[in-house]
Parts: sequence; C-alpha cells; structure tokens
Amino acid sequence: MTAIPSDDRIDPETETAVRSFFRRFGLNRFSGLYVLALFFLFFGLTESNYLTWNGSIEFVLTQKVIVCMLALAFLVPLTTETFDLSIGANMALSLVIVNKMALVTELPEGLIALIGLGACLVIGGLNGFIVVKLRVNSFIATLGMSQVIAAVIRRIHDGGQITRAFGDSYVKFGKKDVFSFTWPGSGSEISLPYYFFYALIVTVITWYVLEHTPVGRHMFATGGNREAARLSGVNTDRLTWGSLVASAGIAGFAGTIYSWKFAAFSSSVGPPLLFPAVAAVFFGASQLKGRPNVWGTIIAVYTLAFGIKGIGLRYPREIDWMQPLFEGLTLIIAVGIASRQGIIKVMRRKASSGPTADPPPDIE
Amino acid sequence: MSTLLTVSDLSKTFPGQVALDRFDIEISTASTHALVGQNGSGKSTFIKILAGYHQPDPGATARLAERPLTLGDGRAASAAGVRFVHQDLGLVESLNTIENISMGVGYTTKWGRINWSSDTERAHAALDALGFTDIDVSTPVGALAPAQKTAIAIARALHGWEEGAHLLVLDEPTASLPEADVQRLFAAIRRLKERGVAILYVSHHLDEVFEIADAVSVLRDGQRVATVATQTVDHEGLIELMIGHRLERRAHMSQTGIEGEGGLRVRGLVGGTVAGVDLDVLPGEIVGIAGINGSGREMMAPLITGQVPSDEGSVVVASVAIPNYSPRAAIRAGMAFVPIDRARLGLIPLASVRTNTTVSDLRRHWRGGRLRHREEAEEVTELVDRIRIKTSSTETPVAALSGGNQQKVLFARSLRLAPEVLVLDDPTTGIDVAAKEEILRLIEQAAADGGAVMVASTDTDELVQLAHRVVVMVDGMVVEEISGDAMTAENIQRAQFQSVKADAP
Repeated sequence: MTAIPSDDRIDPETETAVRSFFRRFGLNRFSGLYVLALFFLFFGLTESNYLTWNGSIEFVLTQKVIVCMLALAFLVPLTTETFDLSIGANMALSLVIVNKMALVTELPEGLIALIGLGACLVIGGLNGFIVVKLRVNSFIATLGMSQVIAAVIRRIHDGGQITRAFGDSYVKFGKKDVFSFTWPGSGSEISLPYYFFYALIVTVITWYVLEHTPVGRHMFATGGNREAARLSGVNTDRLTWGSLVASAGIAGFAGTIYSWKFAAFSSSVGPPLLFPAVAAVFFGASQLKGRPNVWGTIIAVYTLAFGIKGIGLRYPREIDWMQPLFEGLTLIIAVGIASRQGIIKVMRRKASSGPTADPPPDIE
Repeated sequence: MSTLLTVSDLSKTFPGQVALDRFDIEISTASTHALVGQNGSGKSTFIKILAGYHQPDPGATARLAERPLTLGDGRAASAAGVRFVHQDLGLVESLNTIENISMGVGYTTKWGRINWSSDTERAHAALDALGFTDIDVSTPVGALAPAQKTAIAIARALHGWEEGAHLLVLDEPTASLPEADVQRLFAAIRRLKERGVAILYVSHHLDEVFEIADAVSVLRDGQRVATVATQTVDHEGLIELMIGHRLERRAHMSQTGIEGEGGLRVRGLVGGTVAGVDLDVLPGEIVGIAGINGSGREMMAPLITGQVPSDEGSVVVASVAIPNYSPRAAIRAGMAFVPIDRARLGLIPLASVRTNTTVSDLRRHWRGGRLRHREEAEEVTELVDRIRIKTSSTETPVAALSGGNQQKVLFARSLRLAPEVLVLDDPTTGIDVAAKEEILRLIEQAAADGGAVMVASTDTDELVQLAHRVVVMVDGMVVEEISGDAMTAENIQRAQFQSVKADAP
C-alpha cells in the first residue's frame, strides 16, 4: 500500500488526508444528502419561496413520486444485471388502459386500474421470456419491447389527450389528503396525498425484499456473477424473469399514480421519464452502499429534484435548457466519482498484491 | 543440421517456488524437438520466458542462429524469428481466415483502403504452404474444423518466416484435435521441417512425441534431466525420465469407504471428452481422478455437478437421482462442489466474504420473515476462524483476498452445507503452499465427517497424499484403478500416459 510511485499525480499524504476527511463525514456515502443540504442552504437563502411547503416542498415531494417508482422499476432487474428499458412505455401502457377503459366502458375504475397493471405484468412476463428463454440481451429485448408497447398504445388510443375520464371516488382514492394540519405560525396547510403513501409502501417492500430476504440476496449474487450464482444453487433464470415482471408491475403502478395525480393521458407521458429514472438509480448506487440500492435511489431522485426546483426558481427563464444539462452532468459526475473510487481500490490492491497482503481497509 | 537455439543457465524463481533451475536446451534447425514433463515441471515457464511473458532470473544466456537473444523480451524474440502458437489459438471466431491472418500481421492497403485481393492471395499462399488448400478463407473461422483453425494460427505465426523466422513453438497443439486432424497437422509440421524450420513441440501425448519428434527433452522439477533422440528411447523409458523418484504416499488413513446407500454413484456418464464412465464414491472415501488434459479428467467434475450438460448417464447422490445440468438440484440432493475456475465460476467478486459464504443456503438464517444478518455474520465469523481465512472482516469484498483465502471461502461455502458428496476439481491450483496444506486438511476432514469426496486433479502428488484410491482416465474412459500400496505418483503417471490404442485389438 506504500508502493505508490513518485510520479503519481496525487500526493499520497494529501490523498489519505482527503480520504479520511471524506470518510469521517460520510461524504463518500452520503454525498447526495450533503448536496441536498447545500441546495437547501443556498436556494433557501436566496429564494424566499424555496423552503416553504406550498412554494416547493409539496410540489417536489408529490411530483417526483412517479420518477421514484420508475427508478425502482429500473433498479429491481438491475440487481440481477438485467436492464429494463421498457419501464417508461409500461407506465404509459397502464395509464392509457386506465383512461381509455374508464372512458369507453362502465367497469369500476378500481378494476380497470388492475387490468392496466395486469397488462404490464404480461409485458414483464414477455420480457422475461425473451431474455431468459430466447437469450436475447436484456438491453435489446426491452428496447425492442418498448417500441412494441408504443404500438399497442397507439392502437388503443390514436393520439391526443384523454381527460376527465374518471369519477370522483377513483381520484379521491389516490389523491385525497392523508394527513393535513396547519403549520403553526405561518398558517400554511401541510398535507400529503394517499398515493404518496402507496408509493412509500411499494418502496419499503422493495427495500425489504432486496435487503432482508434470501430472494434479494440471490438477486444481487446473480448480478455480481451470474454463473457463480447459478453454480451455487441460485435459480438465476427464475430471478431474472421475476425481476422483469416486478419491474413491469412497478412501472405500471407509476402509471396508476399518474392517473390519480393528473387524471389524464397524453401520448407524451412515460418514455421521457426513463432517463431521470435511470440516472437516479446510478447516482443512487454511489449513495449508502457501493451498489444500487433503494434508499440511495430515493435520495438521488429528491436531490436532483430539489436542485432543479431551486434552479427553476432562481433562473425561471433558463430552466428549460438547464434541467437536462443538470441531470446529465449529475449522472456523469456521480458515476465518475463512483468509478474513480473503484479504480483507486483496484490500484491499491495491485500495489499491495502478494499472497498474504491484507485487504485494503476502506472497502465497503 | 546445425544448432539453431542455445539456452543456458536459465533460472526462474517465483515467490516460494523455483520454476526453472539452471535450465538449458539446444535445438537444431530443420528438426522437431519435443518438450515433455509433468504439470509444474517448468515447461510452460520456459515457453512464457521465450515469449516474453515472464522475465528470467539474471544470468541466463541464449543464442539464436549465432546471434545473442534477449530472453524475456517478446519483441526481440519475434524479430529474431521465434514464433508461437499457444494452446488458445487467439483467433476471432466471428471473422474469416483472411481477416484473422491480416489482423495479426497487418492489412495490406492500397490508397488507404484494405486491398482485399492481395490479403486473400496472401492467406491462400500461407495455407497452401501448410498443405491446407481446402479452407474456405471467407468463412468465419468459428465454422471451421479444429485442425483448420490450428493451421490458420500457424500460418499467421509464420508470416514473414522467409525473412528469418526459424523457430516455431507449438504449445499443446493437439489438445482439442480429433485423431484424423492430428495427422493433417503432423503433415503440415513435416512440410515446415523440410523448409528448414525448427519446431519446439510441447505435448502431454507421448505417442505423438514418438511420431513427430526427432529429439525430446524431459523436464523435471525445473531442470532438464535428459535430451534423447526419439529412436533411442521407448514409452516406458520416457515416463521413467519424467517421473524420476518421487515422494510416496503418506501413511495417514487406512479407513476406506462405508458400504451403503449413501455417497456418489455415476453410471454411463458421457459428455465432452468423457466417453462412458462408471464411478462409485462411498461415504468417508476420497477418490482421486487422474488423467492428462483431454483424457476426460477435466470434464468429470463439471458433468457430475451439472455445470455443463451431459449427453448420457446418471448421477445419484445419496440415493437421489440428479437431473442433468442442474447444479441447484445437485446441491439440494446433498452435493457440494468447488469449481475449477475460482474467479469465473466461484466468486461473486464485489460481494462480501459473508455473502459469498452463505449464498448456497440462507434458509437457516431466514426466520420470521427476516434474514438474520447478525446471526449470519456470527456463523461466518466462526467459519472464518475455523478455516483460518485471512480477512480483515466478514464484510470485506472477497476480491480483496489472496487466491488461497478466496479458495478457502469457496470451501467454507461448500463445507457449511455438510455435504454428503463433495466434488473438487484441481482444488489447490494457483495457491501458496501453506494454504494448500490447510485445504488438504479440510478435504480429509470432510471425508472423516462422512462425506464422499471426489477429487479430479492434475497434481499427482496431491492425489497420492489425499486419496484412498485413484481412478485413471485415458481417452474418456477409466483405464485403471490404483489403490493401496500400488498408489504411487509413479504408477499414476505411468497409467495416465499409457496408450489405449496400443492395447486395442
């Protein structure tokens, strides 16, 4: 570990000092939360609306629930090193089915929502079949599937918006405020809708399954080394298949939430949300643990969202082009830092290699 | 015939191991010189030094065609005219012959674009010179016969030989070739020899050595023990030279297996290089599988454990028949195994020692709908202490451990299942001596605890030390079973180098 060549650009002393500083304050694991705090501090001081419930907090918390769901949908198969790029399209599918059927049939809307979810699960099953049985690379399979779904959506509804398809009771079921009270002093009304808590339940379940059950452990094992996992007795095919079905189901639920929140369908909903979801998962992988994880993903979604909201308040005319720039750069920087940590680990290991070398002390 | 290559005083020391000890060799022009020796005798180390992959210890000298040659410098060797065809031919299967050859030696260009017609001509000419006129040079290499692929690799290696390439090193070129193809390859080698090329031929197949080589050098424990003309030595004599006198079986266990329902029972197993094998391993017994590469020894563990599908045959673990190609079912039935390729087939590199250890069975820590992480960590801590895995904690990624300790993690994974059948495939390759001893202890303990243990190994000494009996494979079949006092490294070697063809009616 001492054998760092003299021509190395980073002075070893400084490097260690910086690293131990990082570790002490958890900057390597909680960087998202620190950045979020910086946003709160900066925009909170400069924009009077930023840190108020009605000004931005409620908006961001509820608005980003959908991205959170899509990010989880991407995260679940990713643990088995399987990509699901059809999540955005799946969300749109569930949404169009709910809207269209509510418009043209007399079926109860709750049942219709379940039909929408069911359609997504079928798509997930197909994805699994193509990836597991036909051995098509998941990237390709789900990319192709997202176009197939787009075709189905257009067959169901020929473009344009659908609005006001739902009755009050359906919308209320998702959108009614769960708790509401008046913040003492300021008089602003604090409340969150039901769907926020439904999403929270889905998040907690996903976290629990991934981190606290054998199934989750086996999924990460599959992603870590598929063949080794298979030879250890892990049913890698079934897990991959199952993760794609779960992914489609969660993506479909994102569509259900959208139907509660906006009670409308438009053909531009869904696929554009793929990027923020994917970005959040990869950004989130640099948080808390050195691998994709549920709460890191949620932190990532909200860190980005509060950042964009702040920028939007400060530069209202520029936000249009600054948002994608901000999202894109954050993704690259976050993943860049994470890979750099990986590179440092590998280099340290190389430098200290030898049959009885102690492992680097700082690997999580 | 004049002397082409002279090497003297070549030593190579790896940490804790002398791979080559004042090795020397002389190779003549226009001849085929075979290099034989057991695994670990230093053959590959010599080849790798010639190819520039390893650096020799100071003091070695070498001359090629009257000029000094720097050992351990691949570029110098290539410029001086030493060319290599390694066991892994290094061909890109999806590209055709023209592309594979041009990729190695450079495309010819005309006005900056590839001159395909001249590249095609060149490919044809190179293959014709080897007598392989039947290769369709525009077919992807993956679709060609094994001998054709080898010919392409040789053609590529020999590009520009007229300008001075005089030594061609063939490292186990027939390891994956059927008999008919071997003859075609030999024909090509003879053509090359007629044109003045010297061939250094590394092989485990002594029959081939007698057929193709003019002289043979024998390595043992890093030293050249003899160089003889092939006419002056016979099969037995060569084996004698290779084996020398080695350490004998350690008197440790007289216990043999316990007859009964348990253990491993294999019937009529066929797949890959295995061509019909019956095998019984009783509880408490360690059975070794010996055989050179290509004998079927290397496929036994993968087939029995379901890593690769078998064509025919049945595998029964403790009276439970295991479906083909299902490691999962094998584990469920009470089998545990440590695959040969630690990194590719065994470890989940970035996951912790704890995760890697428990992945095969988490049920014991899954209670009340929750995975009991602390309890799991306690179990693994206990295992780490008992097996003496050197790691800073159970949470360290397994990739950060040394090879020996990684192997111990895989043993921990298997042994905590208390397996009825334990299948091992070269369990101590690539690990240091101390860890090796400890792993041998673990294997003995697994058998003493009532496990039926099968060990396929290329290390004859290891088999002699461990096994109650050793089954020797040649050409996909069991040809001999050695046990008791007859079980010496010498006898195992003799048996695995025996020629089945000679015995056939």
